Amino acid sequence: MTLWLHLVALGLLATLAGALWRVWRGPSQADRMMAAQLVGTGGVGVLIVLAALQDWALLVVALALALLSALAAVGFVKAQTPDGAGDPEEQSAHHGGQYHPAARQKDGAT
Amino acid sequence: MTLALDLALCALILGVALAAVAGAGVFRAVIFFITYGLFVAIGWARLGAYDVALAEAAIGAGLTGVLLLAAHGRLRRMQADTTERRSPTLSAALAGGAIALALGWAWFALPAPQPPDVAQALPQTGVGNPVTAVLLNFRAWDTLLESIVLLAALLGVWMLARDADWNAPLGPRYHARPDGVLAYFGRFLPPIGLSFGVYLVWAGAESVGGAFQGGTVLAGVVLVAMMAQLLRPPRVSQAMLRAALVLGPGVFLLSGLAAVGLGREFLSLSPAIAKSAILIIEAALTISIAVTLALLVIGPAEDPEPGR
Repeated sequence: MTLWLHLVALGLLATLAGALWRVWRGPSQADRMMAAQLVGTGGVGVLIVLAALQDWALLVVALALALLSALAAVGFVKAQTPDGAGDPEEQSAHHGGQYHPAARQKDGAT
Repeated sequence: MTLALDLALCALILGVALAAVAGAGVFRAVIFFITYGLFVAIGWARLGAYDVALAEAAIGAGLTGVLLLAAHGRLRRMQADTTERRSPTLSAALAGGAIALALGWAWFALPAPQPPDVAQALPQTGVGNPVTAVLLNFRAWDTLLESIVLLAALLGVWMLARDADWNAPLGPRYHARPDGVLAYFGRFLPPIGLSFGVYLVWAGAESVGGAFQGGTVLAGVVLVAMMAQLLRPPRVSQAMLRAALVLGPGVFLLSGLAAVGLGREFLSLSPAIAKSAILIIEAALTISIAVTLALLVIGPAEDPEPGR
């Protein structure tokens, strides 16, 4: 059982490495952000497996990560709007669905 | 098999750190830094330092991400120059490497320290979690000063406001579509986050958790509610806000002075009342930490349309 859990943890870490490759490659900012969210989800998975291996108290850490890692995505979406405080859903309503946030454009050097 | 897992984790931590520092592009560096916090949290979990892992997960993967992404968005809107200056990289790397080598040498050269056994003194502290015992009993001085440093940091951020904006609401004017995904998220997360944050503070006395970790989770909840336009940003002049900010350090300081009044040393806790005293101090600290961290992330008072 322990061996099997170790293998699962290693496999999860391997998927995280795949997500990191997407963070590196991009090309758009949204790609990088979504890959970071995948790392967050995978990290929760790794922590749950570690909890089974080491100590169930680790579930608290996994829970904290699950609750808060979505915050970065909210912050990202906010930062993409013209005034840095809005909501793309409002934008798409204003522009009749013709809204193209900066996040969809290629990242470039910034 | 454990070794393979640890080696893979170490390789990932080093790789992510290198990518955050060496890669081109500010946004990519920000994202790598967010993921770095997450891997470091897993590293602390592997080392058995669960309280540190919890703090790193909450701060590193949660709040720092929002802060850095907002800063990057602001730089872009200001059309600031975000091209990196490449020249100091090598010297900085050499200096960093030298410090790491010196620290490593010191670790091996110095005799192993003989720390006092916390486990032996634990029954007198009133709590079962050795980390909480050290933070709020053995080394309460550190924690008291840290809570004041946090307050000073917030004052430093508030100083950045223009004089004319001083009484404007803090941070950007967040707005969201009332029936949209963000507003839904803003109503969905807070009940869970509130119970979890309070649980962390309560459980911190005996197992993983504590005032700082619980306060960070609560700060995240406050931020989400503000970003979803469900909670109005406060103003610097609000008395309730100021009271919440000084509540933690104030209660902590008063409890220390009360000990002096009872003929004990400053900040020492009598074993008979230690548990309840620690819980009261932690509850007050949690409120102050939660408000301070949330306000640190949203930034100083600003008027988006001056002269209106």
